[in-house]
Amino acid sequence: MRALLRLAATELKLFVREPMVLTFVFAFPVLTVLILGGVFDEDDPNFEGALPSDYYVAAYIGVVIAAIGLVMLPVHLASYRERGVLRRFDVSRYPRWALPAAWILVALIITLVAVAVLLVTGHLIYGMPEPDDLLGVLVGTLLGAFVFISIGIALGLALPSARSAQGLGMLLFFPFFLLGGAGPPPDAMGDPMSSIADVVPLTHVVRSIQEPWLDLGSPADHIAVLAVLAVLATAAWVALSVRTAE
Amino acid sequence: MVIEVEGLSKSYGAHLVVDDVGFTVTEGEIFGILGVNGAGKTTTVECLQGLRRPDRGVMRVLGLDPRTARSQLRAVVGSQLQASALPDRLRVNEAVRLFGDGDRGSAQRLLDTWNLAKLERSSFASLSGGQRQRLFIALALLNQPQVVFFDELTQGLDPLARGEVWDAIRDVRARGTTVVLVTHFMDEAEALCDRVAVMRGGRIVDAGTPAELITRHARSTTVTFTPPVWFDPAALAALPGVDRVERHGEQIRVVGTNQLIAPVCASVLGVDQLGPPDLRVHHPDLEDALIALISDTGADHEADGAAVPVAEGVG
Repeated sequence: MRALLRLAATELKLFVREPMVLTFVFAFPVLTVLILGGVFDEDDPNFEGALPSDYYVAAYIGVVIAAIGLVMLPVHLASYRERGVLRRFDVSRYPRWALPAAWILVALIITLVAVAVLLVTGHLIYGMPEPDDLLGVLVGTLLGAFVFISIGIALGLALPSARSAQGLGMLLFFPFFLLGGAGPPPDAMGDPMSSIADVVPLTHVVRSIQEPWLDLGSPADHIAVLAVLAVLATAAWVALSVRTAE
Repeated sequence: MVIEVEGLSKSYGAHLVVDDVGFTVTEGEIFGILGVNGAGKTTTVECLQGLRRPDRGVMRVLGLDPRTARSQLRAVVGSQLQASALPDRLRVNEAVRLFGDGDRGSAQRLLDTWNLAKLERSSFASLSGGQRQRLFIALALLNQPQVVFFDELTQGLDPLARGEVWDAIRDVRARGTTVVLVTHFMDEAEALCDRVAVMRGGRIVDAGTPAELITRHARSTTVTFTPPVWFDPAALAALPGVDRVERHGEQIRVVGTNQLIAPVCASVLGVDQLGPPDLRVHHPDLEDALIALISDTGADHEADGAAVPVAEGVG
């Protein structure tokens, strides 16, 4: 257990020393808060009756979750594979599951810290609404974070190099970001775009947080989608880590 | 017996990489696995370290099967892997703490021993090639292993750094650790190894002490020099121990057994004269033995196309 904590602490330091992580996980979401919170009129009718700045709170959290799963983890893990760091762990005294366990733990910690930074920033500048259903918000946030962490581990183990992980990560991150809730609200999107947005996993994360927060309805169907995604992504990285070990 | 291997085979798809390999390593020796790139050396030791699953064969490391006793062996086997780096932003002291058993005292002693104490706050990215290699050795030795695997230990190092690493390996053995060394540098094997096995195309073609392999596969000593104008090279062929005399442009090359050197030198020097300034004597070494072993004909590689025979020796 102490060895695992030491591993997690070291991984945490390595993530935080990475400029890309600081940019995408901490700086970019704060910028999103500052821009999105002030871009729309307060009485814009496209936000299901909510204030635009309130409506986008869940999207800020989604941006953090997507940045961790699509950029931070894939780049870090793929570079481990590319440089033979994974093999070094294979001959170390850490059991096989130690490294993925450390990644999940560390990514959850980074998620919580980055979300806290965001909410404080948003609150100081635009004010934050009280969550209608705090437990629902926590469930949505943690499940969403777990889904994207699993996707991130799977991408990192599947891609051969840090460069390819960076390329594919960006290619997924920006459409997810724009269609998944941080872009125009669904009511303002045309039908084709709104259907595409429905298959973007981040949409379900953002809705799972937004609906209990603003009392916009039951997020059960979105939670169900996330649960399926969590199982699929976990199965994918477990299979990949067995493959890379042979 | 620290390591026993018998009938080990491994293929990647249709390509047989390790083919019926068998050898033993005894306690406290430095055992070398030699061969050109692609001979199957790394795959062999990766199987022994439990990193790859062989298709067939029996393996015992300290009496345990690396396939099933992975975690037990991790605690007593050290590994320095080929082409395995560390994260760029990991610092030296963090690496030692990460892969060590958490005992700060022993980690500090290791940093001192391997001359890394001054670098402990340096990131991996900022280390030179020699410093990185020293760190890898230190990490392989972190938990007082009984067996250590070193794969291409000195690749990419300058001669000074190689010398340092060689001294370090001798220290490791002196402390009673058994060492398995994979290399394609023959001078390294000759300087360090008690016994070696030579691999070619996935098979072991010969094994023994470096001296035994040299005696078996590379017996010829070569003397080359530019002769004075009055000199008749054909006369050299009559000397005892001379196998043949060849002309390479201006130079004469005399090939024969070890004992030929003195008569050739005496003959060239004559009496009261300075010898040719470019006289060179090449004794057979492990590299000659390896080249003989891995080339199809087994012929002496010195007899290349540019040579014009002057005379055959009398035997």
